[in-house]
Amino acid sequence: MSGMKPINEKAGLLLEAAESGQLEEVSAMETVAGCATTFDPGWEVDPFGGVASLCQPMEADLYGCSDPCWWPAQVPDTMNTYPSWQEGKPSAQHDWRELDPVFPNTNAVFPKK
Amino acid sequence: MNLKFLAPCLLAGALFAIGAVMPRAAAAHDYLITGSKPDQLYVIDPVKQRVISEFHIPSAKDYVSIIVPSPDGKIAYVLVDEAQRIVGIDLRTGREVFRADLSAPGERVKCLLAFAVTPDGKELIVYEYPTRLGIDSYTVLPPRFALFSTAGGLHAKPLRQFPAPRRIEMVLAKEDGRSFYALGFNLYEFSLRTGRLMQKRGILDWHRPNHSSPDMLAFWPVTEPTGTFTSPLYSMLIGPGTPRGGVPETSLMMLNLRTGQLQYHDFERTSAPIFSTVLSPDKHWVFGAYTALTKIDTRHWDVAAQIDLPHTYYSVNISSNGKEVYVGGAMCDIAIYDARTLQRKGDIHLPGCGDQSVATLRMIHRP
Repeated sequence: MSGMKPINEKAGLLLEAAESGQLEEVSAMETVAGCATTFDPGWEVDPFGGVASLCQPMEADLYGCSDPCWWPAQVPDTMNTYPSWQEGKPSAQHDWRELDPVFPNTNAVFPKK
Repeated sequence: MNLKFLAPCLLAGALFAIGAVMPRAAAAHDYLITGSKPDQLYVIDPVKQRVISEFHIPSAKDYVSIIVPSPDGKIAYVLVDEAQRIVGIDLRTGREVFRADLSAPGERVKCLLAFAVTPDGKELIVYEYPTRLGIDSYTVLPPRFALFSTAGGLHAKPLRQFPAPRRIEMVLAKEDGRSFYALGFNLYEFSLRTGRLMQKRGILDWHRPNHSSPDMLAFWPVTEPTGTFTSPLYSMLIGPGTPRGGVPETSLMMLNLRTGQLQYHDFERTSAPIFSTVLSPDKHWVFGAYTALTKIDTRHWDVAAQIDLPHTYYSVNISSNGKEVYVGGAMCDIAIYDARTLQRKGDIHLPGCGDQSVATLRMIHRP
């Protein structure tokens, strides 16, 4: 923290807590909010800067990403917030048209009564 | 899922067997085990190239993932229901003989793909992430190992629990039955009885000269037929004469579950990602799967052959005689390849064509 200067009161308190050893250790949030087993950024490119080494077809990889909470930015968090996203859609290659995007504050999170 | 450095990339009691049960025969045979969405577990005869049993798991809830066979090959333990339940399925009858619900009221527990059965088949070692669910807040609790008796029935409770490191992706039991390995940023060995940390060896900090820290994707706990776990790792070769940023190199991690010997071997300048690997019975070859099938020569540590696969397969296994290689996971088929030539010999399509996703393709060898 030596190279950083707090610019507001909260940051000052944070620095003070860190210096006095009172800052709680950061806890990984793997299973709490937006499960994630990785911090890798996503499906954009393969390790060589292209797309040839990505999973093929993309549908082969879809549930392989959601089941282990691999890339919650690209697929819904089925482990916590959208457990029924894939219900009745066992095959990504056949059911992809029904695998809808999800958004915060939808019925999936706050079911209608 | 894709590696990105690389990747910038299974009620109480009742299961219903749709297919015929496994045939009884005096001689031992190979059988492949896999699972698929929404709730299926399959037993496959790779010689006949057909599914011989299909079981439904009532409690799977569209989630069938890591599969761990009992040492005698009679039961498959499967992580199901959004990673918060492990069930044991009798592979002849399809009957559910074990169930451990990891979560409890007020505490949500997930097992992120890491559990194992002890060599005597008597206990399951489960890596757990618990979260306390408050009225207005969630509290992340320390991860832990939970030990269950496989005789616990359909309401199994932990026999004992031990503190565990964070970020563990795989648990493997050592063959002597006294300890187990936990694989994450490091390779840990713990006493099975007491949970005492016995040894810690670096993976992220593998300290190999001229290599960067490696990247690794490992949640296919395949150790058959040799009792050796293998996995690819990816790093950058750095040093004099290498381009800025280094040169991508693929290496193989080998962990002998009998001796505990841990080896790393470089085998190619990375040309294609590999997700999972299996070691041949004679230990002369390693086969890796992803969007290509790669054959690695362990005597010379180079790539002997590589072919493109028709689509991505996550998981790979091999026949007990080493003559056939099987790739599965991801979609709804298992492809069979000649281990010597990598010629395609056939494929097996799962009824219903549910995705295998991250279900483990396992091999059992029994009558």
